[in-house]
Amino acid sequence: MALFQTAFAMLYQFGDAFAFLVISCAGLAVIFGMMGVINLAHGEFIMCGAYVTATVAREGLPLVVAIIAGAVVAGLVGMVIERLVIRHLYHRPLDSIIATWGISLIATQGVLIVLGSTMAGIGTPLGAVTIGGDSYSAYRLVLMVAAIALLAALYLLFYRTRFGVVARATIQKPDMARALGVDTGRMYGLTFGLGAALAGLAGGLYAPTMTMVPTMGATFIVESFVTVVVGGADIFVGAAPAAAILALIRATLTAWYGQLFGQIGLLVAVIVVIRILPGGLSAWLKRGSR
Amino acid sequence: MNTRYNDVTAVTTRREGSLWRAIGHLEGPQTIGRGPLFWGLVSLAIVAAAIYPLFADAWTVGNAAYFMVWTFMAMGLGVVWGYAGALSFGQTAFFGLAGYAYGVLTINIGTAYGFTIAAILLSILLAGLFALLIGYFMFYGRIRGVFIGIVTLSVTLVLETFMAQTAGPQWRIGEARLNGFNGMSGMPPLTIPWPGGDLALFPGRGFYYVLLGLVVACYLGLRMLLNARFGNVLVAIRENPHRAEMLGYDIRLYQTLAFGLGGALAGLSGALYTAWGQYITPSSMGLTAAALPIVWVAVGGRRDITATLLGTILVLAGFQSLTIYGSQYALVVMGSLLLLTVLAAPEGLIVAAMTGARSLWRRARR
Amino acid sequence: MTAILEVAGLRKSFGGVTVADGIDFVLERGAMHCLIGPNGAGKSSFFRLILGEHAPDAGRILFAGDDITALRSFQRIRRGISVKFQVPGIFKALSVRQNLEVAFQHHLHGQSLSATTRAMLEFAGLEHEADLQAGVLSHGQQQWLEIAMAVGVEPQLLLLDEPTAGMSPDETRKTGEMLHDLNDRGITILAVEHDMAFVEQISRRVTVLHFGSIFAEGTIAEIIDHPGVQEIYLGTADV
Repeated sequence: MALFQTAFAMLYQFGDAFAFLVISCAGLAVIFGMMGVINLAHGEFIMCGAYVTATVAREGLPLVVAIIAGAVVAGLVGMVIERLVIRHLYHRPLDSIIATWGISLIATQGVLIVLGSTMAGIGTPLGAVTIGGDSYSAYRLVLMVAAIALLAALYLLFYRTRFGVVARATIQKPDMARALGVDTGRMYGLTFGLGAALAGLAGGLYAPTMTMVPTMGATFIVESFVTVVVGGADIFVGAAPAAAILALIRATLTAWYGQLFGQIGLLVAVIVVIRILPGGLSAWLKRGSR
Repeated sequence: MNTRYNDVTAVTTRREGSLWRAIGHLEGPQTIGRGPLFWGLVSLAIVAAAIYPLFADAWTVGNAAYFMVWTFMAMGLGVVWGYAGALSFGQTAFFGLAGYAYGVLTINIGTAYGFTIAAILLSILLAGLFALLIGYFMFYGRIRGVFIGIVTLSVTLVLETFMAQTAGPQWRIGEARLNGFNGMSGMPPLTIPWPGGDLALFPGRGFYYVLLGLVVACYLGLRMLLNARFGNVLVAIRENPHRAEMLGYDIRLYQTLAFGLGGALAGLSGALYTAWGQYITPSSMGLTAAALPIVWVAVGGRRDITATLLGTILVLAGFQSLTIYGSQYALVVMGSLLLLTVLAAPEGLIVAAMTGARSLWRRARR
Repeated sequence: MTAILEVAGLRKSFGGVTVADGIDFVLERGAMHCLIGPNGAGKSSFFRLILGEHAPDAGRILFAGDDITALRSFQRIRRGISVKFQVPGIFKALSVRQNLEVAFQHHLHGQSLSATTRAMLEFAGLEHEADLQAGVLSHGQQQWLEIAMAVGVEPQLLLLDEPTAGMSPDETRKTGEMLHDLNDRGITILAVEHDMAFVEQISRRVTVLHFGSIFAEGTIAEIIDHPGVQEIYLGTADV
């Protein structure tokens, strides 16, 4: 029984880390994979989603509705920003990254000015479940399911819908897609919006577990960057397995040496991976299958 | 085509010519500004900066010294980003590392025999070596532009997290407590051995002149380096890495060295910052701190070292005057400035102004 | 005559695509040799293997008698291989003069650097364009600039990937003369070329690559009369 307990505890640690990595990197990975832009305002879209979720939830609406509201608002904000700024910088990807950093600064400090240094949060729902004598947060188990559901939904979206087909055509051959009558500008706008909405969703999902401060997005940023770098450009081929591997590293190191070493382990992993696998896991996995 | 035979004469003239050639590289293809008018303006600026403390109170002078503290990190980023084409988001990692190193060294060893100067040099060395290590993994791993930004940013954020959790009493190096999020303090200022009693350089005139000397030396030194072979190759690699490699250059080595240089310069800023304020905190390596060098260099203009220097000082001065209203307002303005630069003058506002002025000057002369 | 380049049993494939299928090839010092073959025959990949941009799966590459298979690109260049790519590979934001200086400065200094730069400006016919940004040159001028950059490092072996691509007939003829001039100075030349008139102008011997292996080798006349060569070209509707 003790063995089962330890195994479950490890599995829980792993699942928790995996869920966090998948959920926090999805938005970043979609925008990077489709547009080649690293969105440095990713953390601020997460913060936006979290703030909206907390506000709506405190109005008494169910948490699920609040989370969806957070994702939708972040997505809309993302589409507006894409229209105003990013659209003018498609031919200069590095500059568009710098621009998103400017947006990040404005958003963090703007929220600090307008809403103050902290906001009342919402408690973690669902309480705890006891498994084999140890108690675990039920909400975190829900998050693990949500991570899997998110991957499945994104897979269906990109591989089973018209939007997905057009979107993938746009990434692979933008000129060809344009020649075939695809409004590539609109596709990029929708993609950026989707990425922002996914970031908002991450914020909404983790809002109940966090302190609501304007800089909360920074908590997610290292993990999501690292996952995208290790994964490479393709979210399914790369980011999901990357999240699994990194979650294993982080869960193991965290269990033995604490949180900080978990994070350092991630960083070392990323540096080693880029040294031996330039292009990340997705380039490597694709090479194997070609 | 028998140029090989000319080598014999070239070798004999090289020794005595190298100093002159280095000075000759003050002007060159990789830097804006040449001729008597430009150098007249530079001299005028140096003279103005040198007599400025005579007309200003000590606090203002100390403040001006504070601006100059940051210019080394900015010029280093200019080399790494503007010249070598590697967009680093994490120069603050080297800044913070050197800042903490200066603190740990001086708290433990003290100020005798000019040790603070040695501590600054050691801190720069440490930051430079750390940058070489990170650079080695990145460039020898052949990672591309965007990823360099992410990796360097991750490095600085992880360092911030690491330092922020060193609050406990077990986190000490010798006498120096790291003190977690509250930061390390109590290190001595830069102290210069002097007959009849050491000079401790607290923020003020003495520190100002040391910094002015360092800024001028660093600026001129970088101009010489960037117009010499090293700079030419860096720019060639930025323009077309494949061709540069196929001319026989080990591009990974050049990029790693440039990155190491940028890290060392960030380290110089970090050590001087700690010596200036006798204080360093983990947030000097945080996300906001990391964004600021990008703002200075982008706004000034990354592809010219003069523009980088001027832009950095101007933006810092603007930032400082806005901070009266609260640093969050100043940061919103910084973010907007960055956005504006990227959208309206991607080569940098100072570079745009300098090229504009030059074409006006040419037109006026016709 | 000794061999400057010897390639033995060179193999390389990417996934299912084989770009070099056991190439054995010897190039004599002082030769002026053309490599032809239909699109996809593996000509450019063969160059990349010689230059060390791809690591071969099997086989050896010897340059001037030394095994260079394990060397990195820049090390091979320093031993005396130089290359001109199909798409002009120049530093567009630098001036023409700077392009040349960057090319030569790792083995030349001071006066010999400026002398070589001057000589190569003349060689490329770009004396009057020396201080222009290289990006504003015409396509042909960019090609010559790159040839000058590749030549000025005084290589023993010069690789040219379709040196006349996109050139006018007049420019093509001038390029041919340029290559003869270089060959007379002792530089061995290996060129990938499609334009058979150009091949006739510059080459004494020709090698035909097909599906990553050597299909035929001989004088121009032998190759033109070779029934198999006509077949592979006609079969792919190339040329």
